[in-house]
Amino acid sequence: MTDPIVPQPEAAPEAPKGPYVYDYAASPQRQVVMPKTVPLPSRRTYLAEVKAAAEADEAKWQKMLADFETAKTKAEAEGKDAPKPPVRPVPRKDDNDMKTPWPEEAKDADLLLLQACLGAKVEEVFEQAGELTCQVSKDTILEVLLLCRDHADLRYEMLADQTATHYPAATGWDYSVVYHLTSISRRKRLRLRILVPEGFIPDSACAAYPSANWMEREIYDMLGITFANHPDMTRILCPDDWEGHALRKDYPVVGWGQRDIAFREDRGGMIERIALQKAGQLGINLKQPKAE
Amino acid sequence: MFKNEEMEINLGPQHPSTHGVLRVKLRLDGETITHCKPIIGYLHRGVEKICENQTFFQGQVWTDRMDYCSAVANNLGWAEANEKLFGITVPRRAQYIRTMLNEFNRLASHLIWLATHALDIGAMTVFLYAFREREDILDLNEAFCGSRLTTTAFRIGGLREDLPPGFEKMARKFLAKFETCLEEYENLLSENRIWKKRTIGVAKLSAEDAIALGVTGPVLRAAGVPYDIRKAFPYAAYAEMDFEVPTQTAADTYARYLVRMAEMRQSARIVQQCLDGMPEGPVMAKIPKILKPEVNEVYHATEAPKGEIGYYLVGEKGSTNPYRFHVRAPGFINLQCLPKMAEGALIADIVAAIGTLDIVLGEIDR
Amino acid sequence: MPTPTLSQSLAITLIQCVLVVLFVFVVVPLTVFAERKVLGYLQQRLGSTRVAGGHKGVTGWMNRGMWKWGRIPVLSYWRGIPGLLADVLKLILKEDVIPAKADKFVFFIAPALSMVSAVVVFAAISFVPGTFFIFPSWFPGLAGLPVSGGIADINVGLLWILGVASVGVYGIVLAGWASNSKYPLLGGLRSAAQMVSYEVPLAISLLVPVVLSGSLNFSEMAREMAIGLSAWGLVPQLLGFLIYLTCGFAETNRLPFDMPEAENELVAGFHTEYSGMKFGFFYLAEYINMTVVSALAAGFFLGGPWLLPFGLQGLFNHLLPAGSWLAGPHAIFFVAKIIFLLFTYIWVRGTIPRYRYDQVMTVAWKYLIPMALFNLLLAALVRCAV
Repeated sequence: MTDPIVPQPEAAPEAPKGPYVYDYAASPQRQVVMPKTVPLPSRRTYLAEVKAAAEADEAKWQKMLADFETAKTKAEAEGKDAPKPPVRPVPRKDDNDMKTPWPEEAKDADLLLLQACLGAKVEEVFEQAGELTCQVSKDTILEVLLLCRDHADLRYEMLADQTATHYPAATGWDYSVVYHLTSISRRKRLRLRILVPEGFIPDSACAAYPSANWMEREIYDMLGITFANHPDMTRILCPDDWEGHALRKDYPVVGWGQRDIAFREDRGGMIERIALQKAGQLGINLKQPKAE
Repeated sequence: MFKNEEMEINLGPQHPSTHGVLRVKLRLDGETITHCKPIIGYLHRGVEKICENQTFFQGQVWTDRMDYCSAVANNLGWAEANEKLFGITVPRRAQYIRTMLNEFNRLASHLIWLATHALDIGAMTVFLYAFREREDILDLNEAFCGSRLTTTAFRIGGLREDLPPGFEKMARKFLAKFETCLEEYENLLSENRIWKKRTIGVAKLSAEDAIALGVTGPVLRAAGVPYDIRKAFPYAAYAEMDFEVPTQTAADTYARYLVRMAEMRQSARIVQQCLDGMPEGPVMAKIPKILKPEVNEVYHATEAPKGEIGYYLVGEKGSTNPYRFHVRAPGFINLQCLPKMAEGALIADIVAAIGTLDIVLGEIDR
Repeated sequence: MPTPTLSQSLAITLIQCVLVVLFVFVVVPLTVFAERKVLGYLQQRLGSTRVAGGHKGVTGWMNRGMWKWGRIPVLSYWRGIPGLLADVLKLILKEDVIPAKADKFVFFIAPALSMVSAVVVFAAISFVPGTFFIFPSWFPGLAGLPVSGGIADINVGLLWILGVASVGVYGIVLAGWASNSKYPLLGGLRSAAQMVSYEVPLAISLLVPVVLSGSLNFSEMAREMAIGLSAWGLVPQLLGFLIYLTCGFAETNRLPFDMPEAENELVAGFHTEYSGMKFGFFYLAEYINMTVVSALAAGFFLGGPWLLPFGLQGLFNHLLPAGSWLAGPHAIFFVAKIIFLLFTYIWVRGTIPRYRYDQVMTVAWKYLIPMALFNLLLAALVRCAV
């Protein structure tokens, strides 16, 4: 029975089919600058970089020496004064209170224990800025978490944080998922890390740590990584019908229809052009009739 | 002839006692809650994405707006995470001032908790008494950084300015009267029969459940786990301070009330020690005007009034923006345990449970 | 004294009704105002001060005069009184929203039920026993006729009061049901259970004055309790008074028993969907009920229109010279006692938190009813012994 007083919702007007105004993707504000580098801290890449830098430095020095030799022989041949011998440049020392933390070799007992227990499943261990990092193979994360929780010498009782990062420039994988474990009884923290490619479904940490429930939902919401065996893999912060995953690097910072036009200065008459275009789609002629 | 039916009811997002825009989907059997599901995200502003597109210095203003009741604690975590990322050593005087302001902020946050929690349970007068003292703390904030609520109190590497003249006198005056104020609240609540009836045994959360669900802060300490990051992983000047970590074992709302009241006393003690032992010296480390990190990732956790607030930062070589910024908000994790606390309880208890978790939706939704 | 004709007695009753309604509608806004101010002072703030009148006219004169009263900030006590007028105006002029799915007739009748049952109770309450005043000889038509202190000082006054007051529950239950909304429904259900439960100890605690005075007539009972008792009524009655007051708090849905409208749980309880003057009726009914409960407490337990409560007046009167002003009954004492009890309501509201719903029921059935029964037994024993 319908009450006559209750206003019945009218049929929604049919949405006009896009493109509404102009190609949004062409808007300069919506263009996304993708990162070119893969800032994944790692002792291995650090050592390689250091080695490459040292080699480049050495090569430069050798080139300077060679240049000097040729210049010297040339000067001797021409009978001029010999050029000054080159001085090896020392890196500039900044006068500040900063001491950059570099990835260091793993010396902590926990990391060594993990390496001993897991063997080849551990991809990398290192320490940086006083934090322990252990990168493990992506298939074994649940096993490693259970080990960290239950091993008598590890006892990481709490999963303090779990999050992920998008690395679009990486080859072979796309996301790093990090787990920050806390041992309340031993007052220690440990970071576990897995690298997952797009489309890979890692095991959910909920079986080991129930607190991962919402954190994994947030990761799914923000980065689009789904987790296997999760009790409720739905979006948590954004609405269920949201498109895209906001914390991916390819997600534009400017929303649809926002700030596409600088309203303060409509120099090119863009607002007018859009209005006319939109009105044209709706079949309204807004153009003023020209005086005959 | 008669048919039982469960009623589904939405507590929020507009409701007097959900402390913001929390929505809890309840299924009720009479007045008993059989199913409870918190739904969040109404205040989601994308702080993490915004901070990834701003420089390291600019990100701090966003931390103010996450947990707006304890902006200083958020600032401290942010500043220290950045200092860890860049390897900056902060001068000792700056550490002391930071510690002191952080503890003042803890007092302010706990006072807000006390006020709203008591109001939720119906004790109206405590609300205004607690806000009276909080006003003084906001005055101190204003004296220090010109802003009362969203402070942006610190800078990466130290402080923007030293303490203003007269600050110490104001602070000491506040401390001198604060003990009597605490006693006033306790006179109104601690031995109040109705307050005890409404809080003892309500919203229990055992230590095992709390640890498994990642709950930190006073809720965890009220379950008997003496986990306080100020003691466990000392930061700022907490290693030099003499204070205790109050714990209770009952793990109910009343125990959390006692823990927070005791924490306020300890905070006042820490502030006193900071004032007495304030070292001289500069308040800002020598750092370049533009900070560019090496490739590095840090997770720095500090003890905010609500629990462990952690900042996860990934630095990209040569970039002035953080490559990835993530906040482990204490309220976000703590709210997960709401179904565990509320299911099987009465509808009045969920109000007490939300109050005792001390949530701020600004940091939950970010 | 001339005997009034039918039309004359009708006119006198009408005048009495107008007087009582005037009393109610003066006391209620002043209680609302006092609630704001007293709560304000309990909580170290000023209460309502915004609407304070201007610098001209009566309020301006009041404001200016008040400033000059020494160092006491008297002004802030009176500032805000014009706000009451504004409140009433707002309630009357506000749009009256009826939810689309509500049961319109019941939704309409519920606030009226609450309000009427609250006001009608005053019929059986006599402010002064006997004659209140006599019309002067120049008064047209009613010259020399007496006006009694109550509209109908009937001999089953207490039954009338209890019977009519309990109709008020229907107003709340129906309001909750007719709104067709979930929070009001919960509020209505709560109030049904709570108010029915508290009727029982309330009635039992009121039986004690009945037993002690041997009457159901209001003024008779008030007289018996104030000056008629040969022994101090204080000893058996203190418990009864406290039980009665507790139940009175619950019956009027005031803190700590404001379950039906617990704003922190049920938004606004049974009147969530009400607005405009319909809401105003519930609001008025609550405060009139408070006045009724206070009037009954003042009449039965605090000595009614006599100066001293608890039978002390009976002891005291021997010491006074005959015909003394303090020995006789006066409406002003009665009203003063009502006002003190109304202050107690506000005082309690500013001090203690709210019970949980199941605890409210526990208090009623496990503590108050046994205590009230015990109290009744004690009173009966005292009555037999004396």
